[in-house]
Amino acid sequence: MEAMSYGPSGAELKLEDESFLSDDFLRQLINVGEVDILVGLPTHNNAKTVGSVVTTIRSGILRGFPRERAVIINADGGSRDGTPELVTGVSIDDMRPASNLYALRTLHSISTKYDGGAGSGGALRTILAAAELLRAKACLVMSPEAAHLQPEWISNLLRPIYRDGFDLVAPTYRRHKFDGLLTTNLLYPMLRALYGVRIREAYLPEFGFSGRLGSQFLGQNGWHDGNDQAGVELRLTLAAITGGYRICQSFLGEKEHIERRSSDLVRALRQTVGALFSALETDFPLWSTVTGSKPVPTTGSEQELLLDPIRVNRKRLRERFSTGVAELQSVFQSILSTSTLAELQRIARLGEEEFHYPAELWVRTVYEFAASYRKSVISRDHIIQALAPLFRGRVFTFLVENRNASATEVENNIEGLCLEFERLKPYLLQMWKSRE
Amino acid sequence: MPLNTDVLWYKDAIIYQVHVRTFHDSNGDGIGDFPGLEQRLDYLQELGVSAIWLMPFFPSPLRDDGYDISDYQTVHPSYGTLEDFRKLLESAHERGIRVIIEMVLNHTSDQHPWFQEARSSQDNRRRDWYVWSDTDTRYKGTRIIFLDTEKSNWAWDPVSKSFYWHRFFSHQPDLNWDNPAVRDQMWNVMKFWLDMGVDAFRLDAVPYLMEREGTNCENLPETHEILKALRRKVDEQFSGRMLLAEANQWPADLRPYFGDGDEFHMAFHFPLMPRMFMGLKLEDRKPITEILQQTPEIPPSCQWSLFLRNHDELTLEMVTDMERDYMYDMYAASKSMRLNLGIRRRLAPLLNNDRRRIELMNGMLMSLPGTPIIYYGDEIGMGDNILLGDRNGVRTPMQWNGGWNAGFSIAEPQRLYAPLIQDPVYGYPAVNVAAQKESEHSLLHWMQRIITVRRSTAVFGRGSIEFLHPANHRILAYLRRQGKDTVLVVNNLSGTAQAVELDLRRYKGNILIEMFGNNIFPRVGDLPYLLTLGPYQFYWFRLRRV
Amino acid sequence: MREMIVSELSQAMHEMARGFAHYLPRLIVMLILAFAGWAIAYVVKVILRSILQLIKFDKLSENAGASQLLNKAALPTATEMLSRFVFWVTWLGFILLGVSVLGILGLQEQIASFFLFLPRLFVAMFILFFGLLAASFFSRAALLAAVNANVPSPRLLSLAIRSLIIVFVLSIVFEELGLAEQTMLVAFGIAFGALMLGLAIAFGIGGRDLAQRFLEEKFVRNKKEENEDELSPL
Repeated sequence: MEAMSYGPSGAELKLEDESFLSDDFLRQLINVGEVDILVGLPTHNNAKTVGSVVTTIRSGILRGFPRERAVIINADGGSRDGTPELVTGVSIDDMRPASNLYALRTLHSISTKYDGGAGSGGALRTILAAAELLRAKACLVMSPEAAHLQPEWISNLLRPIYRDGFDLVAPTYRRHKFDGLLTTNLLYPMLRALYGVRIREAYLPEFGFSGRLGSQFLGQNGWHDGNDQAGVELRLTLAAITGGYRICQSFLGEKEHIERRSSDLVRALRQTVGALFSALETDFPLWSTVTGSKPVPTTGSEQELLLDPIRVNRKRLRERFSTGVAELQSVFQSILSTSTLAELQRIARLGEEEFHYPAELWVRTVYEFAASYRKSVISRDHIIQALAPLFRGRVFTFLVENRNASATEVENNIEGLCLEFERLKPYLLQMWKSRE
Repeated sequence: MPLNTDVLWYKDAIIYQVHVRTFHDSNGDGIGDFPGLEQRLDYLQELGVSAIWLMPFFPSPLRDDGYDISDYQTVHPSYGTLEDFRKLLESAHERGIRVIIEMVLNHTSDQHPWFQEARSSQDNRRRDWYVWSDTDTRYKGTRIIFLDTEKSNWAWDPVSKSFYWHRFFSHQPDLNWDNPAVRDQMWNVMKFWLDMGVDAFRLDAVPYLMEREGTNCENLPETHEILKALRRKVDEQFSGRMLLAEANQWPADLRPYFGDGDEFHMAFHFPLMPRMFMGLKLEDRKPITEILQQTPEIPPSCQWSLFLRNHDELTLEMVTDMERDYMYDMYAASKSMRLNLGIRRRLAPLLNNDRRRIELMNGMLMSLPGTPIIYYGDEIGMGDNILLGDRNGVRTPMQWNGGWNAGFSIAEPQRLYAPLIQDPVYGYPAVNVAAQKESEHSLLHWMQRIITVRRSTAVFGRGSIEFLHPANHRILAYLRRQGKDTVLVVNNLSGTAQAVELDLRRYKGNILIEMFGNNIFPRVGDLPYLLTLGPYQFYWFRLRRV
Repeated sequence: MREMIVSELSQAMHEMARGFAHYLPRLIVMLILAFAGWAIAYVVKVILRSILQLIKFDKLSENAGASQLLNKAALPTATEMLSRFVFWVTWLGFILLGVSVLGILGLQEQIASFFLFLPRLFVAMFILFFGLLAASFFSRAALLAAVNANVPSPRLLSLAIRSLIIVFVLSIVFEELGLAEQTMLVAFGIAFGALMLGLAIAFGIGGRDLAQRFLEEKFVRNKKEENEDELSPL
């Protein structure tokens, strides 16, 4: 395995601007040399959680890939709480004999600071560049806040690439049926309907990718587009789909539950829906011709849904929907068609008992947003922000429909929504072409 | 050139391990002998070795390659007479070469008269010279060493209808060292050879001398007592002679065999050897530095003995299961190469006949702290024959030239004690001493050169070791120091070119002089010292402040 | 007597003719300039219109909210308006240039000052246009942020911001045009100050409890209800 039998095509670095890797980091990369496995860890002030995460990563590497040459690359956004030291502290070398750890080889864990701050894509870019320079065959990006991380996750994400030749491994989780509703109600169905690929978690906080895919994405992605980098992970997924790479899913375990506040919905929308909408433009030749959708190979179990009761203040959701529809009317007039807007205004006036945001209306809403985004009828960021209250209404309906549902029933409902997205795809195409 | 009289001669020695049977046959019976070996002493002197270690040459049924001894005070007739041995001893000493012989204390052959007597009846006077039992349940939990052939450490003796203890083959019953008569007799045996002029003993299987219930019967304190007593006698009566321990143990368990400088002079560093091979395959210095960092300090008069290969299998007893699996997969893909938790291959085949790797491994052998042992034939890169049973694949006749029987013997080829290596890569027409003498850059000449460089300074044999820890884990770098002399050794364990920056701040101002060509290299300054190395390349630098 | 009248007349006629002849070339030049000006202005209008259509100026002005205003006043689109405006200004400029050629003293100064005024007029229009654009953008951004942060009366807030920005822009425009700039500045200052004061009073008195609770939440970390309805979206 150490023989030079593998190299991504175009082993020369395709970075336009190589100076974004610091001299010191390059020197560290020289010392690491060629590796088989690379684990990338983007961080920014994660000292509370990163210690156990990185220890688990190390266990995962030692258990799953004891003979392989591995490295942990930490791309840090300028932490002030000692995060980088926690990461580099898990390296295994002969300078600090770690008595109870049994390891065949040296394991380097190196850290560098990237420019641009969180959300700029700088972390991923650094990791991809390191992967290309070190000619890593199988790589993995892990979230520093993965509280439920298990050592097996490392194998689950890397083995399909290392052993079975896949290029992208998306995670699936065990999560509550009401967790991740943006994924189940928008991202997953829309991605599936438009790109024809059934990837449950397209927005990837942790994922595995091959050196091939990494190199290509590093070269082709325009890294200087500033704010567009929010959601660069989603663009990686899309690049894998449009590039015809082999994609699979792997079951990991329970997803961590981070306390979130309402401002995070807008941020989440920007990172996912925003990225998706802007990608639709460039990927038009592909998604316009795709019909139906195909599942991707999945290893491990299927994703699971937890059903324990959860406290949700549904009333507020519906109220915010109604408020949003009322207050943002001027904005919606630029974005939505008159019939859709009228329909939304109608349901906004309904009481809590009768309120229902049907799937078909939701799909049309989303598609009209996508079309308006493309035309930039108003500032694109404002379009994304305007989606938030409508999403809340949809969440309300989903909560009501699935209040007492079993896991199978929830899955069926999601499936139904997906089919609705697929069915209305011509509507989107028509809107897309009409204002040409 | 007479022998030097330094009591610590073994610290500067270069030892050549050879079996009389394999080296040179002088009387045409197909088996190497003492006169034959004597004829080849010039070759050894030219090579530059300063001691030879002879494998057992005692009378023996040869069911364990001579380690099953049936008479301690003479030599096997196939190899010549006792007088032949005496002459060999003299000739070696004249050339400044010392002679180390084997001494098996732990067990004898079941053909030895002592055992024949002991088993004849339960009342025999020598009954107590061996370890008997009515059941085979005593000393439970003691590990079996020859796993491939033995199922138990007790064997049933049909003659006296009881079990006898044997840590090795069942035809090698263990002597009972609790018996003072045994102790006296074995000292007399040793004295016999020391009187003749033998310079040192390699004491075989010393951890197993004593047994005690409830222990693993290895490394017991009682065993150490016996060994210390033997050492005392040697020091009193034969100063300047050396005792070398064969104890395949972890370094921490080996340490007691040095005592306080009052037990063994030398011991084999078994755990290092497989790790050198592992480090080479992993392209990572970690296994090597770790084992050496875990190696305890030994008394100043003591010395480790280092080796790459020997007559036995490349033992993987002193590694973890994961490491063993790795070594098997990397070095012994075919199951027939594996034996008793080890790999029975010679150095060159293990390294795929890669000249650079062979040089690198020898370079490490010669520069790590300890006395190096060269296994006969490895200096010309001989191959092996794994189809010969047990460990005989690495004990084929020495290849002197490309002619009749490789110059080993004038006998008919079918009479040779073992067939010659004949394949196109390692066969004697390709690999032999004569051809390599003709060739300027042969492995033989290279070995002569490195031995010369090694002997040019006492630092390698007697100096301390300090590891450097460059961030590039493929580079193994260390400093050997003794008094004012400092040598920097840098090894590239990988098959690809490497760059490394070494922290030599403490040696600022020193000029590096590369020891093979004696060319000067840049002086050490404030910045890390940058070196680049080709695949498997190594440097030895003398540090010199002008 | 008749001869005197005739000679006076003819002298006067000569004078007039001379005067006429003196001015005639200039008049002709003026007419030529006027004509040429018309032609050039027309060409400029057409070119400008194409450029504006190319950069989708109409859409920009829609964003600025200018289109809505024009629509309500039953005026044609912004592109058309701007093109025509430029047309008239250009032609007027050429005419005035022609008039200045005539050499009528008092007029010349005025004409000169007109030409001096032109650049400032364009700058003012520029500021106004982009100011309206900014007002529209920021008011919409405020609206969306307020709605998403669940702040009460988002439309009011949005309108307030839009008004504030427009007033600010207008004051700059007036200053640029040199029309009652002091007045506008003072008016803006008063309006802004009054608004802020009003808000402070309202917040302070009416929102006292709210402020207390807000501060409590921020510093005492009591966030039960707020997070109840916020599930993790991803």
